[in-house]
Amino acid sequence: MLEGLVSQESLSLNSMDMSVLERLKWVQQQQQQLQQVVSQSSNNSPELLHQILQFHGSNNDELLQGSFSQFQMIGSGFGPNYNMGYGPQHEAMDGCISRTSSCQMEPVDTMEVLLKNGTKEDRPISLKNKRKQEVKTREEENTEKKIKVEADTESSMKGKSNMRNREASSETSKETLKGVSEIPKLDYIHVRARRGQATDRHSLAERARREKISKKMKYLQDIVPGCNKVTGKAGMLDEIINYVQCLQRQVEFLSMKLAVLNPDLELAVEDVSVKQAYFTNVVGSSKHSIMVDVPLFPLDHQGSLDLSAINPNQTTSIEAPSASWESQSQSLYNTSSLGFQY
Amino acid sequence: MASADKTINTDVPEKDVFAIHFLQSLSNLRIQNLFNSPDTTNYRVRKIKKAAYVSMARAAGGTSRLWSRALLRRAAKGNNKIVRFPRRKRKVTWKISSKRRRSDQRAPVVEDAAERLRNLVPGGGGMETSKLMEETAHYIKCLSMQVKVMQCLVDGLSPK
Repeated sequence: MLEGLVSQESLSLNSMDMSVLERLKWVQQQQQQLQQVVSQSSNNSPELLHQILQFHGSNNDELLQGSFSQFQMIGSGFGPNYNMGYGPQHEAMDGCISRTSSCQMEPVDTMEVLLKNGTKEDRPISLKNKRKQEVKTREEENTEKKIKVEADTESSMKGKSNMRNREASSETSKETLKGVSEIPKLDYIHVRARRGQATDRHSLAERARREKISKKMKYLQDIVPGCNKVTGKAGMLDEIINYVQCLQRQVEFLSMKLAVLNPDLELAVEDVSVKQAYFTNVVGSSKHSIMVDVPLFPLDHQGSLDLSAINPNQTTSIEAPSASWESQSQSLYNTSSLGFQY
Repeated sequence: MASADKTINTDVPEKDVFAIHFLQSLSNLRIQNLFNSPDTTNYRVRKIKKAAYVSMARAAGGTSRLWSRALLRRAAKGNNKIVRFPRRKRKVTWKISSKRRRSDQRAPVVEDAAERLRNLVPGGGGMETSKLMEETAHYIKCLSMQVKVMQCLVDGLSPK
């Protein structure tokens, strides 16, 4: 049994050459401990499984999850025990295991063998037949995608809520473990496969990605006016593209208008007055200090020049304003501020 | 369904920030004294449009947004300036090839619309579709703000 276990482990974990040797040694140690445990075990199946978990635990991440569903383990109690003390090795091996998800069945058999030896479980341990597993893809560890995907198939709902609790707690504990080496806050986006949908990793990741995109498109729908009436992704996207093109054309049109309206120097001069108008309209006097930074133009021979001098904060070479100028400026502020209200 | 969402952050500064940047860029144009010599309106138009875009990019987020970064780089290349941006990890070509290869299999309706969007939004060529959506949202907001500012300006300057 020991050799069989080890060989199957090595078969399934052969994708990472470097750590296989370490892993083998570790596995052997675990097997020895496990044998001790099995020999010492009581007939109480939950206890046995608990012990098996602690020693064998993170080595067979997915298979244990599969086996849990069959045995209706206590939910959240196993979570923290399950993951403690298996930090870095644990993650490397899990990453390895997840990549070889097709090999899951063999370790399951070995686990089946183990459990049969130690327990008086009379429920048929048909781990092979039942497809219910919790598939945790650890892509985010390797590719930094940061999507965690769980799949429930519809077949057996036993212990599903327990699974969820355990998964959540194990995730949080894993996250805290990972937090040491990686970014502290990893957001796992939980996606549940619906009834009758494929549960392999790629389609789940696809689905997660598609939901992300549709969420963002909903957000876009709120921004773009008139998008509510159109249904379906294609129409909405056409609307959005249309809107962007519209806005760009508007910018071009307005720049043409500006170029035509204000040839040569006048434009720069008007800047000052327009800035003042903005500030009186939009903000209080707090922004007036910015006016000091306004570049000072040679303000002569322009009618609207008077306005620039009226701003008290601005230091220009022009003389101090008189009362008449102030009234003129007020009128101009009013007229121009009308246009600035949206 | 999906939980643990990050709310999409597309905050756009107020209108006056855009206004300040635009007017400053216009005054820069004037200081360059370009308007004296060339007579063609087209030249001025192009200059103003470029100034509008550059000021919008600066006002909207400087180098913290992908599209603004691409815009500024494009503008600087036109002026033969060397622009330095703070380094960010960007595996552009790798991302494109890996995502695009599969992208045709993934919802072709969405993907060819995303292609068109990529042509419109500056810097869109290096983005994945979901990131593209975020950038588009922010870009739309900034564009509409810029349009409002320019409209105000035109209204203020046009003879009553």
